Amino acid sequence: MSFRMHAALVIAKRRIFESYLSPGYYIAQAVGLLLSYFLISGFVSSIDSSGFNYMLNPLYELIGRSLSGTFGLTFLKKLFASGPFQFVFYVSIIPVFLYLSLSTVFHFCLEKKVGAIELLTYGPVDGTSYFLAFFIKDMVLTILYLLLLILFLSAAALLNNLVLGLAFFYVLVVVFFMMMLLYTISIMISVLTDSSASAIALYIAVIFLFLIVLMGSFTIISTYITSFSSVLSWVINWVSPFFYGGLAISFIEAGYIVNYLLILLVMTVLSCLFLLLSHLVIKVKGVHS
Amino acid sequence: MKMLFIFFLFFIFIGLSSANVPVRQEQFIYSVMAFNGKDYSGTFCSENSDTIYLIADQDNFITARKTLVYYWPITGDWKTDYDALNYPFDGTLKLTVKGGESRIISSERYTYYNVQGEYEQNWEVTTGDEAEKTWQHYLSLINEYWLITEQYQKAKISFDLMMNKLAEEITKKRNSGLDVTELIEKLKVLRLPEPPQPPNDYIVPPSPVQSAFILNLPRGEYNIHFINKDDTVMEDSKKRVIVFKKRRTDGIGFEVIPGDKWTRPVESKTPSSVLYVDGTTNLYLRPFFQDEFNDLYYKKMLKNDAKGNPNLMNWVHIQQVPGGRIELTGNNYDNEEILEKPFYVEQAKGSGMGYKIVPFDSEGTHKDRGPNLIAFKVLMNNERSVIKLNLLDRNGLNLAGSSRQIRVVVKTRCQSVLLLLCLLPLLVMAVIRIIRSRKYTV
Repeated sequence: MSFRMHAALVIAKRRIFESYLSPGYYIAQAVGLLLSYFLISGFVSSIDSSGFNYMLNPLYELIGRSLSGTFGLTFLKKLFASGPFQFVFYVSIIPVFLYLSLSTVFHFCLEKKVGAIELLTYGPVDGTSYFLAFFIKDMVLTILYLLLLILFLSAAALLNNLVLGLAFFYVLVVVFFMMMLLYTISIMISVLTDSSASAIALYIAVIFLFLIVLMGSFTIISTYITSFSSVLSWVINWVSPFFYGGLAISFIEAGYIVNYLLILLVMTVLSCLFLLLSHLVIKVKGVHS
Repeated sequence: MKMLFIFFLFFIFIGLSSANVPVRQEQFIYSVMAFNGKDYSGTFCSENSDTIYLIADQDNFITARKTLVYYWPITGDWKTDYDALNYPFDGTLKLTVKGGESRIISSERYTYYNVQGEYEQNWEVTTGDEAEKTWQHYLSLINEYWLITEQYQKAKISFDLMMNKLAEEITKKRNSGLDVTELIEKLKVLRLPEPPQPPNDYIVPPSPVQSAFILNLPRGEYNIHFINKDDTVMEDSKKRVIVFKKRRTDGIGFEVIPGDKWTRPVESKTPSSVLYVDGTTNLYLRPFFQDEFNDLYYKKMLKNDAKGNPNLMNWVHIQQVPGGRIELTGNNYDNEEILEKPFYVEQAKGSGMGYKIVPFDSEGTHKDRGPNLIAFKVLMNNERSVIKLNLLDRNGLNLAGSSRQIRVVVKTRCQSVLLLLCLLPLLVMAVIRIIRSRKYTV
């Protein structure tokens, strides 16, 4: 094992331990699971003799109307075709994802600003191993949460005679890779910016931009308009984790397994690219803001 | 008081006269009769729309005309008022392949019809003199049918007259105490004439011969504009034509009709989809062959002012799978094979209202009527909480992509267990914090 990797693993271990001592990670997990709970019980009460009818439950009526109004009935039907779990999964991953990525952005910038990283670089650690440690921590904690979520959703499925389905597991893998890419983006933003506030603001803005572009591509329209925004969205899509996620899910729907795997590979390559860019930036810029 | 009443009437009149009448605009439109994979459907492309959507490698009919176009807010649709104005233009259509060459298309006489076959979708199009021949053939069939019907009606009248006459004679002779055996024999020999059957050469008869630009194009993007007889280009006639293909074909979809909601069928389009029900009623399944199209393109082909999702594909039912069988499997019961059967929908009696689906009784209560539904009946109850089904074709072979799951959702009372599970991370957090605080307090 390389010297840098060893340092990254040691710091990551320390970081994971710290996360288990602070309440943030637990609260984010509980919020995610509570959201799942309400969405699953809402789905169960939306079932009648003819299947899923979102008008039967106030929460689902709100969700159903919003989704079908923005993205169309075809989108809504596809989302709930194999049950509630795809939608539940998308929603319940958000609290933990936001907690982990925002805390990485915040802590990395803060520690850079106060000179903690600079201090460590006089020892056996460099900037790259430090941000790699954050990345490893985020990935490990995400995997742990995903395992907990699968356990919870399986219990919910068992109790209500629902089924997770194969499509759910394909989506789970895609989302994991999407999160990996988003974590590397958060690291790059942390490396590029000098203060925690600006890093968080920039990161949220980037996520919103990706989301808006994704939502735009699935919004029901009356006609194609080639405009500046469509060209801009085409450019943004090249680095957008949501775009690749959407693409991978559409490939799996059509049964194109090879294309699905290729998209996962592209997301891995992009993640490595962002980490490499972060490495180059930190090398040039140094670890002091 | 009288003045007040007059004022009241006046205001009502003003109110009625200023009611929202849609504004009709005189517009150049393309009237489109497009093949939608299973049928021909009509729409129009107004001046507000810039694109026409068509399926590739199929005959589609386009005409250029002037009419009144208005927005109907109740349904949110754009509509045409052909009764008030319907002026077809005479000219040619210039079609240009995007970034390629152009060609001039002249209008042709055509007719389209659906003929009998193994499947229902046997659409045929004839053009030019052939179209005229087809139409004349159809007219001759109809005329022949009317002629036979007329003869039948005459024969029926003479039969009725003869019957009445014989009945009267028998009554008279009986009353006079005479022998009626001969007359009875005559009555027995009388036969009611057979009613003629309408021609069954066509499922959908040929449309009257019309003229249109027939577009049968490969997938791609094109531009069209209408050229008048004097070689001038018609204003507002320039449109884009998007010709698209199905992405996948011959998928198997199911239409699921719950026994208590005949008017609210649901669809199951892919093998990964699971149908969750509450198990309170039986289900009636109708398997369909289906093709997959781009959501936006397909919707706009059916209705040019429709909205759709450009990045989603949607399965479209094409025709019911004929002569199949459904194999049911489950954990708690033996495998079962069910067959398609006819059913009749009856209005439920009593205060409950609604409908109920009953087996079609061709000899009894439903005599001289046709079935409303030909479907597979799947019995549902709480013991059969998971039903897995496969569709087999006539030869007993499994049809790819036809497997589905039906699950009866259990509205469990153990929801509180799930709620407790949600709070598990907080419990772990509390335990760790207590252990840590004890460790460092000592």
